[in-house]
Amino acid sequence: MRTFMRVGAALLAAGLALSGCSGGDGDDDGEADGNVTLTYAVWDQNQKAAMQELAADFTRTHPTTTIDVQLTPWEGYWTKLKAAATGGAAPDVFWMNGPNFQLYAANGVIAPNAEQADMSVYPKPLVDLYTYEGKNFGLPKDMDTVGVWFNKKLFDAKKVPYPKDGWTWADFQDAAAELTDAKTGVFGVGAPLSSFQEYQYDTIAQAGGFVISPDGKKSGYDDPKTIAGLKFWTDLIANKHSPDLKTMTDTVPLQLFEAGKLAMYWGGSWNVGEFTGNDYTKDKVDVAPLPKGEKQATIIHGVANVVGAKSEHPKQAWEFVKYLGSKPAADILGKKGPIPAYEGTQSDWVKAHPDLNLQTFLDAVDYAVPYPVSKNTAAWNEAELTHLTKAWSGEQPVDRAATDLAKTMNDLLAKE
Amino acid sequence: MTRRRDRITEALWAYAFIAPIALGLGVFYLWPVLQTAYFSFTEWGAFGGHEWSGADNYVRLIHDSEVGRALVNTISYTVLGLVSIPLAVVFAALLNRKMRGAGVYRTLFFLPVVTMPVAVAMVWRWLYNGDYGLINYLLSLAGIDGPNWIADPATALYALVVIGIWSSLGYNLIIFLAGMQAIPAEYYEAAALDGAGPVRQFFRITLPLLSPTAFFVSVISVIGSLQLFDLVFVIAGSGASARANPAYPRLQTVVALFYDRAFVTNERGYAAAIVMVLLLIIAALTLVQFRLQRRWVHYA
Amino acid sequence: MPSRSRVLLHTVLIAASLVMVAPFVWQLVTSLKSLSEATAVPPTLLPSGRWGNYGRVFDLLPFGAQFGNTVIVALARTAGQVLLCSMAAYAFARLRFPGRKVLFGLFLSVLMVPPQLFIIPQYQIMSALGWLNTLQALIVPGLFSAFGVFLLRQFFLGLPPELEEAARLDGAGPVRIYWSIMLPLARPGLLALAVLVLLWSWNDLFWPLVVNSDPDTMPLSAGLASLQGQFQTDYPVLMAGSLLASVPVIVVFIFLQRQFIQGIAQTGIKG
Repeated sequence: MRTFMRVGAALLAAGLALSGCSGGDGDDDGEADGNVTLTYAVWDQNQKAAMQELAADFTRTHPTTTIDVQLTPWEGYWTKLKAAATGGAAPDVFWMNGPNFQLYAANGVIAPNAEQADMSVYPKPLVDLYTYEGKNFGLPKDMDTVGVWFNKKLFDAKKVPYPKDGWTWADFQDAAAELTDAKTGVFGVGAPLSSFQEYQYDTIAQAGGFVISPDGKKSGYDDPKTIAGLKFWTDLIANKHSPDLKTMTDTVPLQLFEAGKLAMYWGGSWNVGEFTGNDYTKDKVDVAPLPKGEKQATIIHGVANVVGAKSEHPKQAWEFVKYLGSKPAADILGKKGPIPAYEGTQSDWVKAHPDLNLQTFLDAVDYAVPYPVSKNTAAWNEAELTHLTKAWSGEQPVDRAATDLAKTMNDLLAKE
Repeated sequence: MTRRRDRITEALWAYAFIAPIALGLGVFYLWPVLQTAYFSFTEWGAFGGHEWSGADNYVRLIHDSEVGRALVNTISYTVLGLVSIPLAVVFAALLNRKMRGAGVYRTLFFLPVVTMPVAVAMVWRWLYNGDYGLINYLLSLAGIDGPNWIADPATALYALVVIGIWSSLGYNLIIFLAGMQAIPAEYYEAAALDGAGPVRQFFRITLPLLSPTAFFVSVISVIGSLQLFDLVFVIAGSGASARANPAYPRLQTVVALFYDRAFVTNERGYAAAIVMVLLLIIAALTLVQFRLQRRWVHYA
Repeated sequence: MPSRSRVLLHTVLIAASLVMVAPFVWQLVTSLKSLSEATAVPPTLLPSGRWGNYGRVFDLLPFGAQFGNTVIVALARTAGQVLLCSMAAYAFARLRFPGRKVLFGLFLSVLMVPPQLFIIPQYQIMSALGWLNTLQALIVPGLFSAFGVFLLRQFFLGLPPELEEAARLDGAGPVRIYWSIMLPLARPGLLALAVLVLLWSWNDLFWPLVVNSDPDTMPLSAGLASLQGQFQTDYPVLMAGSLLASVPVIVVFIFLQRQFIQGIAQTGIKG
């Protein structure tokens, strides 16, 4: 009996030791001396250094506040953030994007701005993107618009003139036809489903259609103009001026473009680094504005810095967000990374690559339309793919797939 | 008196021996099953919290075309994957002899079993690539223009089945080999005296005596196949992006759908209902197998 | 055997072995190519020896940390299961106590349930403990296994009782008998369980994917899957990463082949 007790005690001790190994990351805020550490969650490895520079710069002017920049790659960022928010432990300040914004705002995970800030220094579509029920949440950090990247070598080979400002859908379609060469396996352009931001949403806006009504209650996919925006792409596939969806599933358009198999690639301002770094594309590409349909349009999107609603240091967190949204911060950002959202700070970004017509992306801001979102964007984003895949693979006519999608999307919106 | 005390001590010791694992199994396995059953009747908020929603999830499930497709795909994959069993029996029979290189062959067959499924799926995804894949290159040598195997609805499911067979063959083969080696040599000696050749011996002795093993293997592989996830996750991805693959309606499995609903769209109540259905199907198919076994399994 | 049928036998076996091995060979060959070599048509068969692809894997993933995580988790789970399962298995096989059948039935019922049913509540527990993105999230639920109890109980039941009875007459208590008699006798069974747990733990994807979204606390399986998410089509790098992640178990397998195969065969025959 006595041994029994002894072993039991040993087991108990082992159990305690096991449960004790949870104390991995204690937070040493060192608040006793009035110092505060803010956590700042970001997802882009390429921008981590710039974020750390900004953090250090902030601490110079706010010596009692230090910033801990926490990088989680995109793949796990939202999962981790959501799990943390569910447990009431979201970071003090973090990056937010359009599709997720309303969900976080509506559920009280992020805090509305503590004071009125001057929003006129940011592009209006971005300010609107981060407005929920009339309140601004956070400040826009950067922005991106869309353009047509093209392979000059392939244009030269077919003696097709480079795209010009003001070119139209018809010009684009003609160029795609001329550039396509079945013998060499070159297509004019790729018409994928993988990212609506650079493809479907742009042409829908250009055709005069809409994805979601301004009040966020109704899908626009059954609107004939929206359908025309989709048909723009499926026609390219049907005419074999774009690879079919199966091919683009096996080998994504970006890779086809970088292998010289696509003459044009609809891409964002964020592709600059990719194309100037790639051995094949670095001396062959330039960029032009998107062609004009019924009107000229591009999608604009940008990341915002927001404050976690449960932050223990809301005052300092807001100060930091204000700094990140300021001109000095934008100047630092513009030298290293994406286009800063702060008006008038973008010239460094353009100057970084004088051989490319990067001004295109800035000019596009004038006619840019906001990224379509609602409270549960993810739900209908999935529906978009489920339905439109059928149109892209040719299984269903576009109008049929789009009206089915509108029905599904309306149901989802009604549930929000 | 001491007898009684001894017995009490023995029982106490037994409980002590079992306690740690009983606690762990209770907390992490038994109680969760009940919770999942309960969750299947709840609806979850985006950031936690759930409330009773009655049979809503099950109603939705019946009308959800993705659930139907996932069930069809999962069951098709499972049934087609059974081809692995006769293949494994044949190769086990070929290897079940004293010969040079038997160990090497066995090792090679077994290699895929110990390889990380994520890695296996990545390699096969590359082999299946429509433009640059090795398989289509080899086919092109024979003048055949191969499809985009995992992006074409006509081939995608079969492409998965091939990977499944390739990676489970060695496992089944080892079990059959062990089963064959347990068959007493006298049976074969007696049959040889009766003038039965190796082929007849195989059908008369090996196969019937192997049927309990085959039954076990089929139960295990059905249960395993019904839970297919890793291959699909690596080959097609998850969430919205997976659905950009035109073949996804043929690739989606029940567990992949469960993952999407539980951890991508955070509809954990609905996800719980989906795995409850999986539980039912596994139970039903296992029961059917036990019923059918009377017809073909011979216990010596 | 007549030599002609022996040639046929080896032809069939060699052909089948080629099918089994070809994917690995192609994986290795691709891992040493540049991206443009990998996407050349017709494919180049001999790579130019881009060992840098392996270095890239280390740049793109915290590969060292993930390797360490995988090893720690696999070893901890293996040690835990071997100890805890053998204790319970011994009790079920050799000790008499009220409720033995009911308890064992409960344990067995865990085996019948597909593991996906445990996941949401397990995730909730991890989240409540604040264990998301930690190694203990990967380890703790995997310390307990009904399968291990079942496997080892079968093994203990097959051991001869004589030694044990002799020890009991010498006055040895259950702990002594378990520790110094049963465990040494059961070594083959313990090893079989150990290699199986090691293999499953190393290769498991679903659970790590769910609980650890932080690259530094992921095991290799989840890390590799995330690599594919980010660099979808850089096949040479993906092949290098997948090779690096799977080679350790393959090497262990080659050294412990007998135990692996015994383990698998045991689960088969005695199941």
